[in-house]
Amino acid sequence: MSDPSPPPPASPRGLSRPDLLVALGVTLLGALLLYGTFQIPFGINAVVGPRVFPLIVSLGTLALGAWLTALTLRGERAEPAVEEDTDPGAPADLKAPAIVLGGFLLGTLLLSPLGFVPGTALMYFSVAFAFGERRFGLTAGVALLVAGITFVVFTRGLGLNLPAGVLKGLL
Amino acid sequence: MEALTSLLGGFETALSPLNLLWALIGVTLGTLVGVLPGIGPALTVALLLPVTAQLPPVSAFIMFAGIYYGGMFGGSTTSILLNTPGESASIITALEGNKMARRGRAAAALATAAIGSFIAGTIGTVLLTFFAPALADIAVTIPAGAKFALILLAFVTISATFGGSPLRGLISLFFGLAVGLVGTDLQSGQARFTVGRPELLDGIDFITVVIGLFAIGETLYVASRYRKSQDVIQLRGGASMTREDWRRSWKPWLRGTALGFPFGAIPAGGAEIPTFLSYTLEKRLSTHPEEFGQGAIEGVAGPEAANNASAAGVLVPLLTLGLPTSATAAILLAAFQQYGLQPGPLLFVTNADLVWGLIASLYIGNVMLLLLNLPLAPVWARLLLIPRPFLYAGILVFSTVGVYSLNNSVFDLFLLAGFGVVGYLMRRFDFPVTPAIIGVVLGPSAESLFRTALQQSNGDLGIVVRQPLTALLLLAVLVALVVPTALRVRARRVHPS
Repeated sequence: MSDPSPPPPASPRGLSRPDLLVALGVTLLGALLLYGTFQIPFGINAVVGPRVFPLIVSLGTLALGAWLTALTLRGERAEPAVEEDTDPGAPADLKAPAIVLGGFLLGTLLLSPLGFVPGTALMYFSVAFAFGERRFGLTAGVALLVAGITFVVFTRGLGLNLPAGVLKGLL
Repeated sequence: MEALTSLLGGFETALSPLNLLWALIGVTLGTLVGVLPGIGPALTVALLLPVTAQLPPVSAFIMFAGIYYGGMFGGSTTSILLNTPGESASIITALEGNKMARRGRAAAALATAAIGSFIAGTIGTVLLTFFAPALADIAVTIPAGAKFALILLAFVTISATFGGSPLRGLISLFFGLAVGLVGTDLQSGQARFTVGRPELLDGIDFITVVIGLFAIGETLYVASRYRKSQDVIQLRGGASMTREDWRRSWKPWLRGTALGFPFGAIPAGGAEIPTFLSYTLEKRLSTHPEEFGQGAIEGVAGPEAANNASAAGVLVPLLTLGLPTSATAAILLAAFQQYGLQPGPLLFVTNADLVWGLIASLYIGNVMLLLLNLPLAPVWARLLLIPRPFLYAGILVFSTVGVYSLNNSVFDLFLLAGFGVVGYLMRRFDFPVTPAIIGVVLGPSAESLFRTALQQSNGDLGIVVRQPLTALLLLAVLVALVVPTALRVRARRVHPS
């Protein structure tokens, strides 16, 4: 989903492309849910089968999506949320969330082959980098420390089973 | 006075040294996550659920209740000292409290917020003590059809009151309902929406949804619009008030409490409306109306009390009807279910120890929070100085551990990333997150009640209209779609946004 435009001061009435994409996305979700509903087998004869509620939910989603699409076509657009640490007036920078997401997915893929500590350390590093931290040595050190401590606390202290990977036997 | 005897029994449970320790851990954690941006009480309870599985339920819930109340106290610190509010309910506190802090009155703003929260929380807990058992007695007699209608009412009010518009709230709700449907249908044994993945047969764990939408979604969103310079107001010494501040605060505290509790208790969707109403009321009654918008202490005292009283009110429908009306309450409900307990009228009979221990711990937690927040205010304020890159990175790592440890499955982490992207889009395009959470947690109960009701009537939909309570509730559903929108428009008009 693309989000190139800073919301105001653009004219409040014009059609917003990202908003339209989201509205169409909701409608599409409704359609997919409807398709999925008809894939559900009927099951044994109960008064209310397993399809009834999914049918209500998918038709509802479809209708709400269509409604949102209609409103968006008439020029309605969403106000981005105001959170602590965000600047609502600033233009959105999609590179930073992409780095966070990319780091997370890569870390997830490395979790099983390399182990928990390198995987989560990579995630930690990529988030810190995306938030503008450029002291690489320090960040890498903190990332490994946090990942290592988390690993030890959760496996030793709480008895959870996390993949040790390359550090097997070491921690 | 049956409630009093039960409450005394509850204090016996809650005052055991171990449970006192859990309460202290809970309120400390709650204040901590309330102060820290990017993490709130809902997310914290969800993250702790897998970890607390070995605890006895009473201790776990005493800790969760501490986190719940503590989050409210901590949130006000953030909105007073940092110039952006974290949640809609603290917009007003930020509006007046931050102005006060800018004029060098941070200590007084924090004190009136903390003491107001304590008073509202305590009065709210007293009301809970007496209302909840009475309501539970009535709730036992409610038939399945009416329970379904009640859930519908909660769905609609929550969708209509959180966020920008009822339409966006409803879309969020339906997204949650759809997620809740994934997995094997328990009544017929058929797989639904599993797209052929065996991992989805057991359904999607709500913890994955909550952590994805809150933690990952928040991290992605803040990253996209990150404000590098943090505008934190420094605090010297503890929070304290002058005699004049006390004189101007005590009435707003009580009025805020009176507004907040009922709004929390009826499923009318959270603390936003009462805080706006309280602000409007205080502005009208004040002898210093010119100070409003410049940092009037009444404008902090009233809304903060309303906010906390509604938090206590939310526990009434949660404990007596099993009906959550806020995101944290939805997660508490799921926590009950994880322990094999079903909140609802019978809980007061079958698990009296647990319920009364929990309620007693709310009194204790409130006192602890007051003691933690007045003298230690500067300590909490320092938390706001934690470098954000390290803070958000840490939140992401803990989220990963929390979700991975559910099933030791990498598939869950991909799901987590997916919900994170949805959470980002929801923030960017103004869809409230709470209705989705309520949909995931409450959707399965809604479906099963719907089926039970229709099975009892042999598929005759007319039952919903002929059963008077059900018909009345369905009428309320319609009203609920219209009234909060009107109230919100009024409240917004009065307060300059």
